[in-house]
Amino acid sequence: MKPSTLTAFVLTLKRDLLIAFKRKNDIVNPFMFFVIVVSLFPLAISPEPARLAEISSGVIWIAVLLSAMLSMDSLFRADFEDGSLEMLLLSPHPLFFLVLAKNIAHWLVSGLPVVVASPLLGYMLKLPADAYATLMLTLLIGTPTLSLIGSIAVALTVGLGSRGLILAVITLPFSVPVLIFGTLAVQASAGGLPAGGYLALMLALLAGSLSLAPLTSAAALRISVS
Amino acid sequence: MWLWFAKLGSPKWFYELSSKWLPWLVGAMAITLAVATVWALLYLPPDYQQGFTSRILIVHVAVAGTSLAFFPLMAVAGTITLVWKMKLADMVAKNAAALGAWFSFITLATGSIWGSVSWGTWWEWSDSRLVSMLFQFFLLLGVVSLRSALEDSDKAAKACALLSIVGCINVVVIKYSVEWWNTLHQPASPVSIESGSANGPEFWIATALMILGVYLFMSVSLILSTRNEILRRERRALWVQELLHESD
Repeated sequence: MKPSTLTAFVLTLKRDLLIAFKRKNDIVNPFMFFVIVVSLFPLAISPEPARLAEISSGVIWIAVLLSAMLSMDSLFRADFEDGSLEMLLLSPHPLFFLVLAKNIAHWLVSGLPVVVASPLLGYMLKLPADAYATLMLTLLIGTPTLSLIGSIAVALTVGLGSRGLILAVITLPFSVPVLIFGTLAVQASAGGLPAGGYLALMLALLAGSLSLAPLTSAAALRISVS
Repeated sequence: MWLWFAKLGSPKWFYELSSKWLPWLVGAMAITLAVATVWALLYLPPDYQQGFTSRILIVHVAVAGTSLAFFPLMAVAGTITLVWKMKLADMVAKNAAALGAWFSFITLATGSIWGSVSWGTWWEWSDSRLVSMLFQFFLLLGVVSLRSALEDSDKAAKACALLSIVGCINVVVIKYSVEWWNTLHQPASPVSIESGSANGPEFWIATALMILGVYLFMSVSLILSTRNEILRRERRALWVQELLHESD
Protein backbone atom coordinates (compact mmCIF):
# COMPACT_ATOMS: atom_id res chain seq x y z
CA MET A 1 0.00 0.00 0.00
CA LYS A 2 1.31 3.42 -0.92
CA PRO A 3 1.36 5.97 1.92
CA SER A 4 -0.36 9.25 1.21
CA THR A 5 1.55 12.28 0.01
CA LEU A 6 0.85 14.00 3.30
CA THR A 7 2.58 11.17 5.18
CA ALA A 8 5.56 11.43 2.84
CA PHE A 9 5.65 15.18 3.39
CA VAL A 10 5.60 14.82 7.18
CA LEU A 11 8.16 12.02 7.13
CA THR A 12 10.57 14.06 4.99
CA LEU A 13 10.14 17.03 7.29
CA LYS A 14 10.78 14.93 10.40
CA ARG A 15 13.75 13.19 8.87
CA ASP A 16 15.41 16.47 7.88
CA LEU A 17 14.81 18.01 11.29
CA LEU A 18 16.25 14.94 12.98
CA ILE A 19 19.36 15.07 10.81
CA ALA A 20 19.74 18.80 11.46
CA PHE A 21 19.64 18.32 15.21
CA LYS A 22 22.24 15.58 15.01
CA ARG A 23 24.58 17.83 13.05
CA LYS A 24 24.36 20.96 15.13
CA ASN A 25 27.18 22.69 13.29
CA ASP A 26 24.89 23.29 10.33
CA ILE A 27 22.49 25.17 12.59
CA VAL A 28 24.93 27.02 14.81
CA ASN A 29 27.45 28.20 12.25
CA PRO A 30 25.15 30.27 9.98
CA PHE A 31 23.59 31.80 13.06
CA MET A 32 26.95 32.69 14.58
CA PHE A 33 28.03 34.08 11.23
CA PHE A 34 24.96 36.31 11.20
CA VAL A 35 25.62 37.62 14.72
CA ILE A 36 29.33 38.20 14.09
CA VAL A 37 28.80 40.02 10.78
CA VAL A 38 26.27 42.33 12.42
CA SER A 39 28.63 43.11 15.29
CA LEU A 40 31.46 43.98 12.92
CA PHE A 41 29.58 46.91 11.40
CA PRO A 42 29.75 49.27 14.38
CA LEU A 43 33.49 48.59 14.57
CA ALA A 44 33.97 49.36 10.90
CA ILE A 45 31.63 52.32 10.55
CA SER A 46 31.03 54.17 13.78
CA PRO A 47 29.81 53.44 17.33
CA GLU A 48 27.74 56.62 17.21
CA PRO A 49 24.08 55.71 17.96
CA ALA A 50 22.56 58.07 15.40
CA ARG A 51 24.60 56.67 12.53
CA LEU A 52 24.03 53.09 13.62
CA ALA A 53 20.27 53.64 13.77
CA GLU A 54 20.38 54.89 10.22
CA ILE A 55 22.09 51.81 8.81
CA SER A 56 20.76 49.15 11.20
CA SER A 57 17.94 47.78 9.03
CA GLY A 58 20.21 47.47 6.01
CA VAL A 59 23.02 45.85 8.00
CA ILE A 60 20.72 43.26 9.53
CA TRP A 61 19.16 42.43 6.19
CA ILE A 62 22.50 42.08 4.41
CA ALA A 63 23.79 39.84 7.20
CA VAL A 64 20.64 37.73 6.94
CA LEU A 65 21.15 37.41 3.17
CA LEU A 66 24.77 36.32 3.55
CA SER A 67 24.10 33.82 6.30
CA ALA A 68 21.16 32.40 4.33
CA MET A 69 23.52 32.01 1.40
CA LEU A 70 25.99 30.05 3.52
CA SER A 71 23.41 27.82 5.12
CA MET A 72 21.67 27.03 1.81
CA ASP A 73 24.68 25.01 0.82
CA SER A 74 23.65 22.17 3.13
CA LEU A 75 20.09 21.91 1.77
CA PHE A 76 20.62 19.02 -0.65
CA ARG A 77 24.34 18.29 -0.26
CA ALA A 78 24.32 15.44 2.28
CA ASP A 79 21.37 13.82 0.53
CA PHE A 80 23.15 14.06 -2.78
CA GLU A 81 26.35 12.56 -1.40
CA ASP A 82 24.76 9.56 0.26
CA GLY A 83 22.31 8.89 -2.56
CA SER A 84 19.08 9.55 -0.67
CA LEU A 85 18.31 12.40 -3.07
CA GLU A 86 17.95 9.84 -5.83
CA MET A 87 15.50 7.91 -3.67
CA LEU A 88 13.55 11.13 -3.26
CA LEU A 89 13.42 11.62 -7.01
CA LEU A 90 12.28 8.02 -7.54
CA SER A 91 9.49 8.26 -5.01
CA PRO A 92 5.95 8.10 -6.39
CA HIS A 93 4.96 11.30 -4.59
CA PRO A 94 5.08 14.69 -6.28
CA LEU A 95 8.58 16.05 -5.87
CA PHE A 96 7.04 19.49 -5.26
CA PHE A 97 5.90 18.52 -1.75
CA LEU A 98 9.08 16.66 -0.85
CA VAL A 99 11.22 19.63 -1.87
CA LEU A 100 8.86 21.93 0.01
CA ALA A 101 9.21 19.75 3.13
CA LYS A 102 13.00 19.92 2.89
CA ASN A 103 12.77 23.68 2.44
CA ILE A 104 10.55 24.11 5.48
CA ALA A 105 12.79 21.93 7.64
CA HIS A 106 15.79 23.92 6.50
CA TRP A 107 14.10 27.21 7.24
CA LEU A 108 13.04 26.04 10.71
CA VAL A 109 16.63 25.37 11.70
CA SER A 110 18.41 28.17 9.83
CA GLY A 111 15.87 30.98 9.30
CA LEU A 112 13.83 30.90 12.48
CA PRO A 113 16.76 31.43 14.91
CA VAL A 114 17.69 34.56 12.98
CA VAL A 115 14.12 35.88 13.20
CA VAL A 116 14.00 35.23 16.95
CA ALA A 117 17.36 36.88 17.60
CA SER A 118 16.70 39.92 15.40
CA PRO A 119 15.27 42.30 18.07
CA LEU A 120 18.39 41.78 20.16
CA LEU A 121 20.61 42.68 17.22
CA GLY A 122 18.29 45.54 16.40
CA TYR A 123 18.85 46.82 19.91
CA MET A 124 22.61 46.48 19.58
CA LEU A 125 22.47 48.56 16.40
CA LYS A 126 20.22 51.17 18.05
CA LEU A 127 17.24 50.48 15.82
CA PRO A 128 14.28 52.54 17.12
CA ALA A 129 12.16 50.35 19.39
CA ASP A 130 9.02 50.96 17.30
CA ALA A 131 10.56 48.99 14.47
CA TYR A 132 11.33 45.73 16.33
CA ALA A 133 7.99 44.17 15.49
CA THR A 134 8.28 45.13 11.83
CA LEU A 135 11.84 43.84 11.68
CA MET A 136 10.73 40.47 13.02
CA LEU A 137 7.74 40.36 10.69
CA THR A 138 9.78 41.22 7.59
CA LEU A 139 12.34 38.58 8.52
CA LEU A 140 9.56 36.08 9.23
CA ILE A 141 8.22 36.64 5.71
CA GLY A 142 11.55 37.32 4.01
CA THR A 143 13.76 34.48 5.23
CA PRO A 144 11.50 31.70 3.88
CA THR A 145 11.33 33.60 0.57
CA LEU A 146 15.11 33.72 0.46
CA SER A 147 15.35 30.01 1.26
CA LEU A 148 12.87 29.18 -1.49
CA ILE A 149 14.64 31.33 -4.08
CA GLY A 150 18.01 29.99 -2.99
CA SER A 151 16.88 26.39 -3.27
CA ILE A 152 16.60 26.79 -7.05
CA ALA A 153 20.27 27.70 -7.37
CA VAL A 154 21.26 25.01 -4.86
CA ALA A 155 19.36 22.42 -6.86
CA LEU A 156 21.01 23.56 -10.09
CA THR A 157 24.52 23.30 -8.63
CA VAL A 158 24.08 20.27 -6.38
CA GLY A 159 26.58 18.11 -8.24
CA LEU A 160 29.41 20.62 -8.15
CA GLY A 161 32.40 20.22 -5.87
CA SER A 162 33.02 23.76 -4.70
CA ARG A 163 30.02 25.94 -5.30
CA GLY A 164 29.79 28.41 -2.44
CA LEU A 165 30.66 31.33 -4.66
CA ILE A 166 28.63 30.43 -7.70
CA LEU A 167 25.64 29.95 -5.44
CA ALA A 168 26.05 33.50 -4.18
CA VAL A 169 26.64 34.93 -7.66
CA ILE A 170 23.43 33.38 -8.94
CA THR A 171 21.20 33.93 -5.93
CA LEU A 172 22.15 37.35 -4.60
CA PRO A 173 20.79 39.35 -7.57
CA PHE A 174 17.58 37.34 -7.27
CA SER A 175 17.09 38.48 -3.68
CA VAL A 176 17.04 42.19 -4.55
CA PRO A 177 13.23 42.62 -4.29
CA VAL A 178 13.11 40.93 -0.87
CA LEU A 179 15.96 43.10 0.34
CA ILE A 180 14.34 46.29 -0.97
CA PHE A 181 10.93 45.73 0.56
CA GLY A 182 12.33 44.32 3.80
CA THR A 183 14.54 47.32 4.48
CA LEU A 184 11.90 49.80 3.28
CA ALA A 185 9.36 48.33 5.70
CA VAL A 186 11.75 48.55 8.65
CA GLN A 187 12.81 52.08 7.73
CA ALA A 188 9.18 53.12 7.40
CA SER A 189 8.23 51.95 10.86
CA ALA A 190 11.44 53.33 12.34
CA GLY A 191 10.29 56.69 10.97
CA GLY A 192 6.80 56.23 12.40
CA LEU A 193 5.14 55.46 9.07
CA PRO A 194 2.84 52.50 8.33
CA ALA A 195 4.64 49.50 6.84
CA GLY A 196 1.61 47.44 5.86
CA GLY A 197 2.02 47.99 2.13
CA TYR A 198 5.58 46.67 2.10
CA LEU A 199 4.59 43.69 4.19
CA ALA A 200 1.79 42.93 1.73
CA LEU A 201 4.28 43.07 -1.16
CA MET A 202 6.65 40.78 0.74
CA LEU A 203 3.78 38.36 1.34
CA ALA A 204 3.09 38.45 -2.39
CA LEU A 205 6.74 37.58 -3.07
CA LEU A 206 6.48 34.76 -0.52
CA ALA A 207 3.26 33.44 -2.08
CA GLY A 208 4.81 33.55 -5.53
CA SER A 209 8.00 31.78 -4.52
CA LEU A 210 6.10 29.28 -2.36
CA SER A 211 4.14 28.11 -5.36
CA LEU A 212 6.81 28.42 -8.07
CA ALA A 213 10.17 27.82 -6.39
CA PRO A 214 9.63 24.19 -5.26
CA LEU A 215 8.39 23.41 -8.77
CA THR A 216 11.51 24.94 -10.30
CA SER A 217 13.79 23.34 -7.71
CA ALA A 218 12.21 19.96 -8.43
CA ALA A 219 12.85 20.41 -12.16
CA ALA A 220 16.40 21.56 -11.39
CA LEU A 221 17.04 18.50 -9.21
CA ARG A 222 15.88 16.23 -12.00
CA ILE A 223 18.37 17.96 -14.30
CA SER A 224 21.26 17.79 -11.82
CA VAL A 225 20.72 14.22 -10.69
CA SER A 226 20.54 12.25 -13.90
CA MET B 1 3.55 21.78 -40.36
CA TRP B 2 6.09 20.50 -37.86
CA LEU B 3 8.55 19.70 -40.58
CA TRP B 4 10.06 23.18 -40.74
CA PHE B 5 10.33 23.15 -36.98
CA ALA B 6 12.23 19.88 -36.95
CA LYS B 7 14.40 21.20 -39.75
CA LEU B 8 15.12 24.37 -37.80
CA GLY B 9 16.60 22.24 -35.05
CA SER B 10 19.16 20.72 -37.35
CA PRO B 11 22.51 22.46 -36.89
CA LYS B 12 23.57 21.54 -40.41
CA TRP B 13 20.52 23.15 -41.96
CA PHE B 14 21.06 26.29 -39.90
CA TYR B 15 24.72 26.40 -40.87
CA GLU B 16 23.93 26.23 -44.57
CA LEU B 17 21.07 28.70 -44.40
CA SER B 18 23.05 31.20 -42.35
CA SER B 19 25.88 31.01 -44.87
CA LYS B 20 23.45 32.39 -47.44
CA TRP B 21 22.03 35.04 -45.14
CA LEU B 22 25.20 36.31 -43.56
CA PRO B 23 26.51 38.43 -46.46
CA TRP B 24 23.17 40.28 -46.66
CA LEU B 25 22.96 40.79 -42.93
CA VAL B 26 26.54 41.98 -42.68
CA GLY B 27 25.99 44.34 -45.61
CA ALA B 28 22.82 45.80 -44.10
CA MET B 29 24.56 46.12 -40.74
CA ALA B 30 27.56 47.90 -42.23
CA ILE B 31 25.41 50.37 -44.14
CA THR B 32 23.03 51.24 -41.28
CA LEU B 33 25.80 51.47 -38.72
CA ALA B 34 27.95 53.62 -40.99
CA VAL B 35 25.11 55.98 -41.89
CA ALA B 36 23.88 56.24 -38.32
CA THR B 37 27.36 56.79 -36.88
CA VAL B 38 28.35 59.43 -39.40
CA TRP B 39 25.03 61.17 -39.02
CA ALA B 40 25.16 61.05 -35.23
CA LEU B 41 28.75 62.15 -34.91
CA LEU B 42 29.08 64.70 -37.70
CA TYR B 43 25.71 66.12 -38.67
CA LEU B 44 23.53 65.97 -35.59
CA PRO B 45 23.07 69.50 -34.24
CA PRO B 46 24.33 69.88 -30.67
CA ASP B 47 21.71 69.92 -27.98
CA TYR B 48 21.19 73.39 -26.55
CA GLN B 49 21.76 72.19 -23.01
CA GLN B 50 23.98 69.15 -23.32
CA GLY B 51 26.02 70.28 -26.27
CA PHE B 52 27.75 67.59 -28.23
CA THR B 53 27.55 64.97 -25.46
CA SER B 54 23.96 64.24 -26.45
CA ARG B 55 25.40 62.40 -29.44
CA ILE B 56 26.59 59.49 -27.32
CA LEU B 57 22.97 58.90 -26.34
CA ILE B 58 22.28 57.59 -29.82
CA VAL B 59 24.64 54.69 -29.24
CA HIS B 60 23.58 54.32 -25.64
CA VAL B 61 19.85 54.12 -26.34
CA ALA B 62 20.34 51.62 -29.16
CA VAL B 63 22.58 49.31 -27.10
CA ALA B 64 20.34 49.58 -24.04
CA GLY B 65 17.24 48.70 -26.04
CA THR B 66 18.97 45.73 -27.59
CA SER B 67 20.34 44.48 -24.28
CA LEU B 68 16.78 44.14 -22.98
CA ALA B 69 16.07 41.60 -25.70
CA PHE B 70 18.54 39.03 -24.36
CA PHE B 71 16.65 37.63 -21.40
CA PRO B 72 13.42 37.05 -23.35
CA LEU B 73 15.48 35.51 -26.14
CA MET B 74 17.26 33.20 -23.70
CA ALA B 75 14.00 32.28 -21.98
CA VAL B 76 12.41 31.31 -25.30
CA ALA B 77 15.51 29.37 -26.34
CA GLY B 78 15.56 27.75 -22.90
CA THR B 79 11.93 26.67 -23.19
CA ILE B 80 12.68 25.14 -26.58
CA THR B 81 15.70 23.33 -25.08
CA LEU B 82 13.67 21.95 -22.18
CA VAL B 83 10.56 21.00 -24.14
CA TRP B 84 11.86 19.88 -27.54
CA LYS B 85 15.49 19.20 -26.57
CA MET B 86 16.64 21.12 -29.61
CA LYS B 87 20.42 21.42 -29.68
CA LEU B 88 20.43 24.54 -31.80
CA ALA B 89 18.37 26.51 -29.26
CA ASP B 90 20.95 25.80 -26.60
CA MET B 91 23.84 26.84 -28.84
CA VAL B 92 22.09 30.17 -29.38
CA ALA B 93 21.31 30.54 -25.67
CA LYS B 94 24.91 29.83 -24.66
CA ASN B 95 26.27 32.65 -26.78
CA ALA B 96 23.38 34.97 -26.01
CA ALA B 97 24.25 34.96 -22.29
CA ALA B 98 27.80 36.17 -22.81
CA LEU B 99 26.80 38.60 -25.56
CA GLY B 100 24.00 39.96 -23.40
CA ALA B 101 26.42 40.57 -20.55
CA TRP B 102 28.62 42.54 -22.94
CA PHE B 103 25.69 44.59 -24.19
CA SER B 104 24.65 45.37 -20.62
CA PHE B 105 28.20 46.37 -19.83
CA ILE B 106 28.41 48.68 -22.83
CA THR B 107 25.06 50.19 -21.85
CA LEU B 108 26.39 50.91 -18.37
CA ALA B 109 29.67 52.25 -19.73
CA THR B 110 28.17 54.60 -22.33
CA GLY B 111 25.57 55.71 -19.80
CA SER B 112 28.31 56.54 -17.30
CA ILE B 113 30.29 58.52 -19.84
CA TRP B 114 27.22 60.51 -20.80
CA GLY B 115 26.26 60.94 -17.15
CA SER B 116 29.71 62.15 -16.16
CA VAL B 117 29.18 65.18 -18.37
CA SER B 118 25.44 65.74 -18.15
CA TRP B 119 24.78 64.75 -14.56
CA GLY B 120 28.25 65.48 -13.23
CA THR B 121 28.60 61.95 -11.87
CA TRP B 122 29.65 58.60 -13.26
CA TRP B 123 27.18 56.68 -11.18
CA GLU B 124 23.85 57.69 -9.72
CA TRP B 125 21.85 55.30 -7.52
CA SER B 126 18.78 57.46 -7.78
CA ASP B 127 18.19 56.49 -11.39
CA SER B 128 16.31 53.20 -11.43
CA ARG B 129 17.33 52.39 -15.00
CA LEU B 130 20.97 52.32 -13.97
CA VAL B 131 20.32 50.08 -11.01
CA SER B 132 18.10 47.59 -12.82
CA MET B 133 20.56 47.44 -15.74
CA LEU B 134 23.32 46.68 -13.24
CA PHE B 135 21.34 43.76 -11.84
CA GLN B 136 20.47 42.50 -15.30
CA PHE B 137 24.23 42.49 -15.93
CA PHE B 138 24.78 40.48 -12.73
CA LEU B 139 22.04 38.00 -13.60
CA LEU B 140 23.50 37.43 -17.06
CA LEU B 141 26.94 36.89 -15.54
CA GLY B 142 25.32 34.35 -13.21
CA VAL B 143 24.04 32.38 -16.21
CA VAL B 144 27.48 32.55 -17.83
CA SER B 145 29.23 31.32 -14.69
CA LEU B 146 26.71 28.51 -14.18
CA ARG B 147 27.40 27.39 -17.73
CA SER B 148 31.14 27.34 -17.20
CA ALA B 149 30.84 25.59 -13.83
CA LEU B 150 28.86 22.62 -15.14
CA GLU B 151 31.05 20.30 -17.13
CA ASP B 152 28.44 17.99 -18.61
CA SER B 153 27.19 20.04 -21.57
CA ASP B 154 23.75 18.41 -21.63
CA LYS B 155 23.20 19.17 -17.96
CA ALA B 156 24.57 22.68 -18.41
CA ALA B 157 22.14 23.28 -21.27
CA LYS B 158 19.11 22.34 -19.20
CA ALA B 159 20.30 24.06 -16.05
CA CYS B 160 21.00 27.32 -17.90
CA ALA B 161 17.67 27.05 -19.69
CA LEU B 162 15.89 26.85 -16.36
CA LEU B 163 17.92 29.68 -14.88
CA SER B 164 17.22 31.87 -17.93
CA ILE B 165 13.48 31.37 -17.60
CA VAL B 166 13.55 32.18 -13.88
CA GLY B 167 15.91 35.08 -14.56
CA CYS B 168 13.63 36.51 -17.23
CA ILE B 169 10.78 36.71 -14.72
CA ASN B 170 13.11 38.08 -12.09
CA VAL B 171 14.46 40.87 -14.25
CA VAL B 172 10.92 42.22 -14.47
CA VAL B 173 10.30 41.92 -10.71
CA ILE B 174 13.64 43.57 -9.96
CA LYS B 175 12.93 46.36 -12.41
CA TYR B 176 9.63 47.23 -10.77
CA SER B 177 10.90 46.94 -7.21
CA VAL B 178 13.91 49.11 -7.99
CA GLU B 179 11.68 51.71 -9.60
CA TRP B 180 9.48 51.71 -6.56
CA TRP B 181 12.42 51.88 -4.20
CA ASN B 182 13.63 54.85 -6.15
CA THR B 183 10.46 56.90 -6.05
CA LEU B 184 10.37 56.33 -2.31
CA HIS B 185 13.91 57.48 -1.80
CA GLN B 186 13.01 60.89 -3.17
CA PRO B 187 16.18 61.40 -5.14
CA ALA B 188 17.80 64.76 -5.54
CA SER B 189 16.87 64.30 -9.14
CA PRO B 190 19.54 64.81 -11.75
CA VAL B 191 18.58 66.29 -15.08
CA SER B 192 16.32 63.65 -16.60
CA ILE B 193 16.80 62.47 -20.12
CA GLU B 194 13.33 63.59 -21.13
CA SER B 195 13.68 67.19 -20.16
CA GLY B 196 15.67 69.64 -22.17
CA SER B 197 16.70 67.61 -25.16
CA ALA B 198 15.27 68.93 -28.37
CA ASN B 199 14.04 65.70 -29.89
CA GLY B 200 13.82 66.85 -33.46
CA PRO B 201 13.29 64.50 -36.38
CA GLU B 202 16.99 64.27 -37.21
CA PHE B 203 17.61 63.00 -33.70
CA TRP B 204 14.95 60.32 -33.93
CA ILE B 205 15.85 59.10 -37.38
CA ALA B 206 19.48 58.75 -36.36
CA THR B 207 18.43 56.87 -33.23
CA ALA B 208 16.10 54.57 -35.15
CA LEU B 209 18.83 53.81 -37.68
CA MET B 210 21.28 53.13 -34.88
CA ILE B 211 18.81 50.80 -33.14
CA LEU B 212 18.32 48.91 -36.39
CA GLY B 213 22.08 48.75 -36.89
CA VAL B 214 22.75 47.50 -33.37
CA TYR B 215 20.03 44.86 -33.68
CA LEU B 216 21.63 43.71 -36.92
CA PHE B 217 25.00 43.68 -35.19
CA MET B 218 23.55 41.56 -32.41
CA SER B 219 22.04 39.12 -34.92
CA VAL B 220 25.27 38.87 -36.86
CA SER B 221 27.35 38.28 -33.72
CA LEU B 222 24.88 35.72 -32.48
CA ILE B 223 24.80 33.90 -35.80
CA LEU B 224 28.58 33.92 -36.11
CA SER B 225 29.14 32.61 -32.60
CA THR B 226 26.42 30.01 -33.06
CA ARG B 227 28.13 28.83 -36.25
CA ASN B 228 31.37 28.42 -34.33
CA GLU B 229 29.55 26.53 -31.63
CA ILE B 230 27.96 24.26 -34.24
CA LEU B 231 31.34 23.45 -35.74
CA ARG B 232 32.80 22.80 -32.29
CA ARG B 233 30.03 20.54 -31.07
CA GLU B 234 29.46 18.70 -34.36
CA ARG B 235 33.15 18.34 -35.14
CA ARG B 236 32.81 14.57 -35.39
CA ALA B 237 29.86 14.77 -37.79
CA LEU B 238 30.48 13.82 -41.38
CA TRP B 239 29.32 17.10 -42.92
CA VAL B 240 31.68 19.14 -40.74
CA GLN B 241 34.58 16.90 -41.68
CA GLU B 242 33.75 17.35 -45.36
CA LEU B 243 33.47 21.10 -44.89
CA LEU B 244 36.89 21.20 -43.30
CA HIS B 245 38.44 19.17 -46.10
CA GLU B 246 36.92 21.46 -48.70
CA SER B 247 38.53 24.50 -47.13
CA ASP B 248 41.95 22.83 -46.98
